[in-house]
This record gives sequence, C-alpha cells and structure tokens, in this order.
Amino acid sequence: MLGIVLGTAGYVTISGIMLGFRVFIIDQLINNDAQVRISAREEPILADSLNEEFFPEAKHIFWLAPPSGRRDEAKIEYPQGWFDRLDRDVRVLAYSPQLTIQAIMRRANISENVRMIGCDPAKQERVTEIQKYMLEGKFSDIGQSGNRMIMGLGLMKNLGARVSESVLISVGKGNPIPFKIVGVFQVGMKTIDDSTAFAALNDVQKANLTPSQVSDIAVRLINAEDAKGLASSWSSLSQDKVQSWDQINSGTMSVFKTQDIVRNSMTLTILIVAGFGIYNILNMMVTQKRREIAILRSIGYEPKDIISLFMTQGVLLGTSGGLLGMIFGHLICRYLSTITVDSGRMIGGGGTMMISFDVMIYVFGFLLAFGSSVFASLLPARAASKLTPIDIIRSEA
Amino acid sequence: MSIETHHISKTFGHPPTTVLRNVSLTIPDNDFVSITGRSGSGKSTLLYILSTLDNATEGKIVIDGETVSAMTPQEVHRFRNQKMGFVFQFHYLLPELTALENILIPARKTKVHEAKREKALALLEKFDLKGKDHRLPSQLSGGEQQRVAIARSLIMDPQYLFADEPTGNLDSVNGDTVIKILKDLNEHENMTIIIVTHDPDYAAMAKRRIHLVDGEVVDQ
Repeated sequence: MLGIVLGTAGYVTISGIMLGFRVFIIDQLINNDAQVRISAREEPILADSLNEEFFPEAKHIFWLAPPSGRRDEAKIEYPQGWFDRLDRDVRVLAYSPQLTIQAIMRRANISENVRMIGCDPAKQERVTEIQKYMLEGKFSDIGQSGNRMIMGLGLMKNLGARVSESVLISVGKGNPIPFKIVGVFQVGMKTIDDSTAFAALNDVQKANLTPSQVSDIAVRLINAEDAKGLASSWSSLSQDKVQSWDQINSGTMSVFKTQDIVRNSMTLTILIVAGFGIYNILNMMVTQKRREIAILRSIGYEPKDIISLFMTQGVLLGTSGGLLGMIFGHLICRYLSTITVDSGRMIGGGGTMMISFDVMIYVFGFLLAFGSSVFASLLPARAASKLTPIDIIRSEA
Repeated sequence: MSIETHHISKTFGHPPTTVLRNVSLTIPDNDFVSITGRSGSGKSTLLYILSTLDNATEGKIVIDGETVSAMTPQEVHRFRNQKMGFVFQFHYLLPELTALENILIPARKTKVHEAKREKALALLEKFDLKGKDHRLPSQLSGGEQQRVAIARSLIMDPQYLFADEPTGNLDSVNGDTVIKILKDLNEHENMTIIIVTHDPDYAAMAKRRIHLVDGEVVDQ
C-alpha cells in the first residue's frame, strides 16, 4: 500500500518535473525559432564532383590535385519562389526571410562572437514570440533600416554594454559598422541569450556586403504538428535544406527519449516493489483467512467467487494507493512549482520551476498502480481459490 | 428423497491408508443420524463425503436421485448452497461481519440476502440472540457464536443439515442447547440431520446411530 502510494507519487512528481521542463523547452523551440526552417544547402565539393562538368566523356579521371572546397556562400538561390509557395500554402501562418551571419561585436576592448540575424521585424514577430521575451524596448524598434539592433541579455552583459549605446559590428570584410542597441531580450536559453542579436534584414545584408541575400526562411505553421510532414515534402521540391523544429533540435529530442526511458524504468521498478508488497499482504491474508475461505466454499461459494473476493481486496488496495499517491504527488508538484529558480536564466515563465499538471500523467500513473495491484493480487487469489474446504478443515482439526 | 452410498471407500496419502471401507448406507428424509466412533475411525470423512465436500475414492453417492460424481462443480456448489447446511466444531464466522451479516452470507451468494433478512432476524430471535444482530463474533460468547453458525446454516432452508462435532467446543449447557435445536429442527421442520459426535449421550438422542470402527460400519 505504502509502496503503491510512493510509486504513484514518485511517478507523478518525476513526470511533472520532466514534462514541465519539456513543455517549456518545446515551447521555446516552437515559438522562439522557426517551426520549419528553410536554409541554404552547404554543399561541399568532393574529388569527383566536377568530373561530369569538365570531362563528360572520360571514364577514368585522375586528378593531380583533386578539387575541394565549398560551393559559393550559403544562400537560398531563389527566395521569391519560396515566398510564392509559402504565400499559397494554407497551412502556413507566417514566414520571415532572414540573413544569419557570424559577426564580431566590439565595444571598447571587448569583443564577442555573435550570430546576427537580419529580419523584417514585422514578419519575424509573427513567426516567433520574441516580443514576449523583451526586457527593454520593443522588437519592432529595429525597424526596416537604420542600423539598430536588439540583443540577448547575456550578450549585453558580456559586452558590458547598455541599451542606447552603439557597438561595432565587423563581418570580416569592409569596415566595422556601428549598430545601436535599442532593446534587450531574454528567452531563457543560454545559447540564444549569450550570442544572438537581431537587426533589420537590410542592415545586415548591407553590413555583410551581400544585398538581397537570404540565408534562411523561418516558417510558422498554423499547426506545429504538421512541421515534420511539410518539411519532408518541401525538401523534395528543392535543393535547399528544409528542416522541421524537431529535426533541427534532434539532439534535444533524443535527450527527451532518454528521459522517458529513465522515468519509465524508475517507475516500473518502484511499482514492481509495490506489487510485491501487495502480493505479500494478500498471501498473508489468504493464510490467515483459511477458515473463512473454508466456510465460504462449503456454503456453496465457487472458486471464482473466492478469486473475485481477493481480487477486490487487491484492487481496493491498488486503487486507494493510486489515489493517495496521485494526491501526494500532486501536492509535491504544487510545492515544487512555487520554488523560484534563481539563476542567470529562468526556467519557465515567472522564474519558477515549470511543472506539468497534464491529466495524462495522472491517468497513466493511476493505471500503473491499478495494473500492478491487479497483477499482484492474481496469484494469491488463485491460490486461495484452489484451497478446498476439506483440506482446510482437516488441517484445522 | 434420500442420501444413499454404494460401497464407498476412501484412501489417503502415500502410502495409502484406508479411512473408509465399503460403506453402504441409506439415509431417508427426516432421519436423525449420529455417526460415532473413535478419533481416526473415519467418521468426519464419512460426513464430508455424504455432504459432497469430499470425494470418495471408490463407490458412488446418490443424493435426491442424483449421482454426485456425475454433477458439474457448478451444480454441486448450487446444491450445497440451496439444500445443505453445515455446522462445524468451530463456528467459522467471519470476524469482520456482524452476526446478522454472517447469517446472510449463504444468501448473498445467490443475491437473495435482502429477501432473507426477515428470516435471519427470526432465526436470531428463535435462538435467543435477539438484539445481538449487530454484534461482531468476537463480542459473542462461544455458545452464542455456535448458535449464529447454526442460524447461518439454516438461512437457505436446507433439506440436510450436517454437523461435525457441533458441541465439541462448548460446555454442557451450550452443548445441550445445540442438540435441542437440532432435535427440534428434525421434529418440526422435517430436516434430515446428520451429526458426528463422540459424546455418547448426544449420540443416543439421534433416531439412528452409525458406529464406525476403522472405517467400517459395525452397527446401525
């Protein structure tokens, strides 16, 4: 009984923490980045990549110095084609063309390597929920041009900069260009907050000396679950790389799978122990209640009546244990969700732990408790039903 | 209607020991039979075989014209529930249930416990247990417990009542009461009563006496 309670409570708590965190992460993945990202394929040049073009007739080609390198810069060859397609597709909610570049940001003697994302703020705001995470300023402040940008809180701290200051951006070609900081955001993921800045698409293109180049198209769908299917159908249509959010973050997804395995096997272990507990209780009960079994059997109760009697006992134990465990686990979750996580990044909305209160956790936890108790009562109940009244009476006398 | 046994024998265990040898009996309706004998003479075994709780190794038992060995387990269970009452040396009352609930257990099996409630109360009254219907068995004296057990055996209006040393655990006053009840049931309710006892006084009260020696009927 206590085992079942602890097992269920443990399952509910662990699931609450894990799934809460997961909901948070997935929310971040879905809302802070593209649900489907169309990006330029980075195509390396291999030793035999150029054979066809230079020597279409030759059968065997031996290079003295085999060609190597990469084709051009990473850019989407024909963005307009994508725009047309995305405009027509009813499953697409919004899209935002972007140019992402690596740049060095300098303020006085401090320099930081940053990922600069050039975008149209109006479109970007429709694709991601970045506005929600703005600490200062508005996302739309970056405007269409004018060398204004917003950056992550971590990045700004590292630079020692302030809002309304200017920092120099250099991309490795041309002169460094000053950009004015007009806002700060914090999405809660260190990788983004410490190294990302947003600016207007035009400004970034100009800074990179590649006018009108687009490296990515971030797409938001009406239904995030469509992402995988759409991504694979689109990628067959074009040279460009099309990935859905779960493919982009396959590392995180595989961590989730591992978490699931750990969580389930832990719960299973607890419940097996709890099941043995119930098995023991019922076994003892069968031994103690031999006389009662004997009288019931001699009165005309059948083996299946005895089975149902003991099964009811076991199921009652399981049900009450499961319910208690659920309440207990829920209380623990309630308590955990009030704990403030005090660190540089926040986990969840108000800086507190994100705990999932998903109904399915409770349903599943209860079913586990119920199932294990039914399973554990089966053997003792069967053993009880096999006792014949005469055996018992004889052993009593 | 009657209980008949045809040449029944019973052996137990390894190596087999014979407990009953070639017992042939006929117990007509409304009989009052006492089975006597020393301990180990097979009297309890005979009772259990007569009451279908145990099976004979050889021979056949015919109750109310039906051969027990040919009946399905379900039929045997129903038969026991409807036609037989049992009283043991120990009362075997369920300790968690009140006296009234204990009496109604056989009725619960066929879901007639609501209808039998009146009868159960009447039986309690008849057995001098009035007002004790909500007591737990542990709150009753030994004699009261045994009377509750008898009431339980009577709730389904059985044709046959089997009693295995019903007085074995009682003092003589309570024992006399029990035997008086059995005698009364036999005389006024036309019940067939089969009782195992080694008290010669009680055995003498029966209409007929079956004496067993080493598994054989020597006197009936």
